[in-house]
Amino acid sequence: MNFLSRMSKKSPWLYRINAGSCNGCDVELATTACIPRYDVERLGCQYCGSPKHADIVLVTGPLTARVKDKVLRVYEEIPDPKVTVAIGVCPISGGVFRESYSIVGPIDRYLPVDVNVPGCPPRPQAIIEGIAKAIEIWAGRI
Amino acid sequence: MAFLSILMKNLLKGPSTEPLPTADSPTPAAYRGKVTFDETACVGCKMCEHVCPGGAIRFEERPEGLRFMIWHNTCVNCGLCSHYCLTKAIKLSNDWHLSHLQADKYRLTDQALVAYAACSGCGTKMLPTADALMRLAYKKVSPRSEHLRHLCPDCRRSASVSGDIQ
Repeated sequence: MNFLSRMSKKSPWLYRINAGSCNGCDVELATTACIPRYDVERLGCQYCGSPKHADIVLVTGPLTARVKDKVLRVYEEIPDPKVTVAIGVCPISGGVFRESYSIVGPIDRYLPVDVNVPGCPPRPQAIIEGIAKAIEIWAGRI
Repeated sequence: MAFLSILMKNLLKGPSTEPLPTADSPTPAAYRGKVTFDETACVGCKMCEHVCPGGAIRFEERPEGLRFMIWHNTCVNCGLCSHYCLTKAIKLSNDWHLSHLQADKYRLTDQALVAYAACSGCGTKMLPTADALMRLAYKKVSPRSEHLRHLCPDCRRSASVSGDIQ
């Protein structure tokens, strides 16, 4: 177990939750992972397909009323300890959708957020900076 | 054999990955990042507050002046504020280092005070006329307009009508 936790400090897996995003931040997240110029996998991270494998959660979108329950259900499936990162201004404050009838966010009303990366969308460099902060928190938590 | 030249080129070029987060990465000068505000150029028209789609900008009347506030966590870097700012008091810098811990969420603000000046005629408080506005309004600032600039609207009106300034 000691060996495992020592190793997992160096390889936190990322999982994306789209909480009603316009897809802008999701494109930037894909760019961060897939384009060699940014290459988030240098930091030991990797996107995973299942919430059960995730360590760091990246949430995009302002949390619409329709998607809220699904987001919370998927979030519950992610094992503890986990680090939550809000990507873009939407999950942080609602951005341009703030106080709209269909928005129940910001997400920190429902989820414990650790790191915020504002921007509309944040550039990949900013996302990497935010993930680096999340990895520091992750190393302290495990 | 074309691949050999590409291979050589790539070998000489070095890695294309940016060295983040250990070193900074080059940012284009025109990149729309964190908003900056220059209180000496602001004329208090509040157009930026009106056009801001995220509602990031707030103005507040205070006894000592007009207070400007921006919360970067709801700013979408659209640049409308800077586009509509006559005197370019509000601008977008290319600073994108905005990621922060949750504890600092509500501290990611910038505040500035456009302090009231006293009218040189009657002493009432008024927003000072910025240099930037004078340059915008007049090709050459005459002594007369320089004098009128420090008067409140009432004093300016009476000074213009009585014609006591030449």
